[in-house]
Amino acid sequence: MKALAIARTNVRRLFRERSTIFFVFVLPMLIILLLGATFGGGLTPRVGVVATGVGELGEQLVEAIAGGGDLEVVRYDSREALGPAVERGRVDAGLELPANYDRTVRSGGEAVLRFLARPDQLGPQLRAAVAAAAAGQAAELRAARFTVAETGSGFDEALARARMVAVAIPSISVEETTAGEALLPRDLGTFDLGASQQLLLFVFLTSLTGASALMETRRLGISRRMLSTPTSGWTILIGEALGRFGVALVQGVFILVGTLLAFRVDWGDPLGAAAVLVAFCLVGSGAGMLLGATFRSEQQAISVSLLAGLGLAALGGSMVPLEVFPRAVRDVAHVTPHAWGNDAFAELVRRGGGIEDILLELGVLLALAALLLALAAWRLRRAITR
Amino acid sequence: MQRAGPPVLECTALRKRFGDLLAVDGVGFTIAGGETYGLLGPNGAGKTTTISMVCGLLERDGGTVTVAGRPMTTRSVEAKAAIGYIPQELAIYPDLTARENLAFFARLYGLPRAAVSTRVAEVLDVIGLADRAGDRASEFSGGMKRRLNIGIGLLHRPRLLVLDEPTAGVDPQSRNSILGSIEELSDSGMAVLYTTHYMEEAERLCDRVGIIDGGQLKAEGTRRELVALVGETDRVRLSAAGELEAGLAACLVLPSVREASRHDDGLDLLVDGAAAALPGLLAALGAAGVTVRSVDVAEPNLEAVFLHLTGRALRD
Repeated sequence: MKALAIARTNVRRLFRERSTIFFVFVLPMLIILLLGATFGGGLTPRVGVVATGVGELGEQLVEAIAGGGDLEVVRYDSREALGPAVERGRVDAGLELPANYDRTVRSGGEAVLRFLARPDQLGPQLRAAVAAAAAGQAAELRAARFTVAETGSGFDEALARARMVAVAIPSISVEETTAGEALLPRDLGTFDLGASQQLLLFVFLTSLTGASALMETRRLGISRRMLSTPTSGWTILIGEALGRFGVALVQGVFILVGTLLAFRVDWGDPLGAAAVLVAFCLVGSGAGMLLGATFRSEQQAISVSLLAGLGLAALGGSMVPLEVFPRAVRDVAHVTPHAWGNDAFAELVRRGGGIEDILLELGVLLALAALLLALAAWRLRRAITR
Repeated sequence: MQRAGPPVLECTALRKRFGDLLAVDGVGFTIAGGETYGLLGPNGAGKTTTISMVCGLLERDGGTVTVAGRPMTTRSVEAKAAIGYIPQELAIYPDLTARENLAFFARLYGLPRAAVSTRVAEVLDVIGLADRAGDRASEFSGGMKRRLNIGIGLLHRPRLLVLDEPTAGVDPQSRNSILGSIEELSDSGMAVLYTTHYMEEAERLCDRVGIIDGGQLKAEGTRRELVALVGETDRVRLSAAGELEAGLAACLVLPSVREASRHDDGLDLLVDGAAAALPGLLAALGAAGVTVRSVDVAEPNLEAVFLHLTGRALRD
């Protein structure tokens, strides 16, 4: 297969450039990690706690704050260590319990909890969580003290009884529901959204760099020489595109598997995810070949490829989710392949759909790929033979 | 030596226009197996455009091309299999080794996978790069790159080898080596189409030469046939001072002088048997008041033929 020989040569040449390894494999994973850590909604807030010599009740309060795993408690030895940790963002808030907490509250005295937070949105939310835990413990303590006063029993026995009774008292629960369709599901993982967006962005960019490779082949006179051999123009174009498609596909699979293993990204139906990836790589390869067959210099091809790669990604929802765009902009965004790719991944990742649910998106992507490759073949032949 | 036999290449009435420029106008020639045909002309004469149409790299506006009995178009596959095209530019991957470059094109020429490594090794021997086979082309000298460029065109043992100014920018030693290789290939029975603007290369290599200028084939034939067009006269160029008009008139009455004209620095003459006629010529000029500073005698060659046919020198 001559096309495979051309593709193999392209891949070999590409990976002889050491920088390729960084841009194809390392950079996407770094950006996914960065975006997930910065904007991923699934991070557990961290509360720094100073609780030295606080006694049994103090420790129980700390456990209550950690609660059902909604908060992560990080222990600090002193107020001096906690303050800078909050200021520098190592923890999202800080709580200091007085050293005599247990003794104070058992004796009916007032224990003052010191709460530290930065002036951001998370601070008040964490303060409310800490206050709720303290209020819960305070209610049990009040009930225990009342029992001691009424029955003359010991405090520990009264507290145990109060806690037993508290379980049986009907409580008020708040149920949260979403009107209409949720922008993002509550169980979306930290990296789930960013991973699919960055997958599409990088795979398309990598495919578009095929434009400068094709330009170089033309500049060196190799395309022309290939055409002087018993090799058709279509075979040459398919070979050139196949090389870039192969690199983009390898990159895409690396991101899929890498984020699955490293960040536990849920890609949904594996068959659907693979189909979207293949279709999108084909679109990117077709676009790269068309640019490479159209422009007259590598510089021109590189500049336009970068602009197109980033611009289409931004418009198509690979930087900000399509769902936050107004409806009119969302409609316009669907001139980009990224929008169709993101729609497909949204169906798979966020709504638990299967390949049968993304047939429209796949069809549009495959049609676009066929159109771009046909235009590129026509343009390349014209560029060489006229 | 011109070979007999059926033509490997036949092209007739080739025509190509780029906008207002008629780059090739009615060019036609044939080449037989074992024959080397040279297209001789200055830069911009239409040589590369002609061979681009011959190799099916350029769509033509008129004319026909048949290679090994098969019609050639830009979409032909069978006709292209009979051609080894060696472009003027170095159409090789600089970041691949010599062996990788050859193996890549061997696959494009349709060599079976099993035969590729053997044939690549043979060609590396032919072009003298066997000991540098594993080195990247970017590390080669200009001459070595040229040889690799030529080697690619030999991989599939073509019936017609087309070389577009293959010695452009090459040092004399490499140039001599390249010309020697082409002579050997021609001797082995390969038809060769060779374009050049170096008269010496055309005279050394080519059995027949087509003189091309302004997109038209002005004349073609063996060196002897072409030289006969200007007669067996020698070109004598005199650098002289003094009464040049009188000297011109004195020359024209001499029976050995066919033509005479003035140039800025002296006189140009076409003379029968310059060696014998020169003493009488110099005497006549002295008598007419002309002081001759130098004499340059050129025997008839393709340069003179080109001058005769086009009115300008090959390097103009």
